[in-house]
Amino acid sequence: MEQVTGRMIIIMEIITNIVMPCIYSFAASFAFSVQFNIRKKFMISAAMGGILSQFVLAFLQLNGISEMSGYFISAAAISAYSEVLARRLKVPVNMHLVVAVIPLVPGGKMYYSMVTLINGDINGFLIQTVETFGIAGAIAMGIFAVSSVFIIMKTIKQKRIKKLPCNKNTGQ
Amino acid sequence: MNENELLEITSEIGYLMIKYGAEIFRVEDSIKRIISAYGTDKNIAVEVFAIPASLIVTIQTDGGFPITQTKRISSRCTNLDRVDKLNSLSRNICRTKPDFETVMKHIEEIKKRSEYGFKTIVISYAVVGFTFALFFGGGIKDAVIAGIIGALIKLVSTLLEKIKPSIFLESVVCSILAASLAIISMRIGITERFDKIIIGSLMTLVPGITITNCMRDFIAGDFLAGLYTMTEALIIAAGMAVGAATTISFLTGA
Repeated sequence: MEQVTGRMIIIMEIITNIVMPCIYSFAASFAFSVQFNIRKKFMISAAMGGILSQFVLAFLQLNGISEMSGYFISAAAISAYSEVLARRLKVPVNMHLVVAVIPLVPGGKMYYSMVTLINGDINGFLIQTVETFGIAGAIAMGIFAVSSVFIIMKTIKQKRIKKLPCNKNTGQ
Repeated sequence: MNENELLEITSEIGYLMIKYGAEIFRVEDSIKRIISAYGTDKNIAVEVFAIPASLIVTIQTDGGFPITQTKRISSRCTNLDRVDKLNSLSRNICRTKPDFETVMKHIEEIKKRSEYGFKTIVISYAVVGFTFALFFGGGIKDAVIAGIIGALIKLVSTLLEKIKPSIFLESVVCSILAASLAIISMRIGITERFDKIIIGSLMTLVPGITITNCMRDFIAGDFLAGLYTMTEALIIAAGMAVGAATTISFLTGA
């Protein structure tokens, strides 16, 4: 009996910490892709990026990895996802990256850092702001790292082909 | 195609790409590729300089005078579908080298491509507010209110477009609206806390395209363009903070 309840608790934890954020971020990314005027054909694949970002982040945090590295790895994952899809579907990288990055934006932290400032708690404000900018930096660095690798790969490939200035260039 | 026509199509394509939210390196790269595709026999030299606010294209043939066209991009609207179409158009131009009229016809077609209707966009704002309120830990009531506020934000920002506000003013007004409605809904007793509602509804204003373009421009080495977009994102964030902060301190007396 105890085993069963223990298992139930674990399942509930997984649902609240991983499944629900993934569903929310899928819906949010899907709605955001309307704002960016992404065609219906690519809306699902763009919103899947939202799931990927939340899944990686929640999974890593459940396994006790620090917040910053969680955001870094998650941003790297969505960046790789959108670079690969861009080459496969021959669309700009932005189309998938923009939508997938939005659920990672630390909106809650920004809000609470502002609230601490209003309340006159300067120490709290500093802590929250540094954390917010740290997360923003981690996301940027994650995208930087993966995109740089892809740019290097592209340069190597182009040197190998070396044709007219207008060969079949994809993605970028 | 002569140089003047070449200059016209490239600067038009570049202008539209920047306007619809493409990265700067993509714009510069497409223009260079198109011109070099046409100019292989005439030996045309090309210089392109673009930032999110302006575009300068100069081409020079052998022994001729250089000719330049400058475009000022004063307003931008995100439309990734059209960016994608312009991108494949420029790739097509490189491959098939069509004449001037054909290219202009394609550009006009892309300009007229259908967008999502106003109702759909309002609904999408509502969905974004709803889901982000849940995402940041709000209850279902908070989420519904955040969704309604999200839709109202879109309506108000469309109304504001008529007076052409600065991005700062626009985000201040929208966040004042969000914060005051959230606090009012707490006062009349629909929910107990208003923070999740404000966070959820303000997530609709996150400038996603600005943030990603900023990072990608920095990676590509276009630091001026990266700084431009980064400043824009920071100003929007500052506007949201100012609006929400003043409203909260007025209405809750903190």
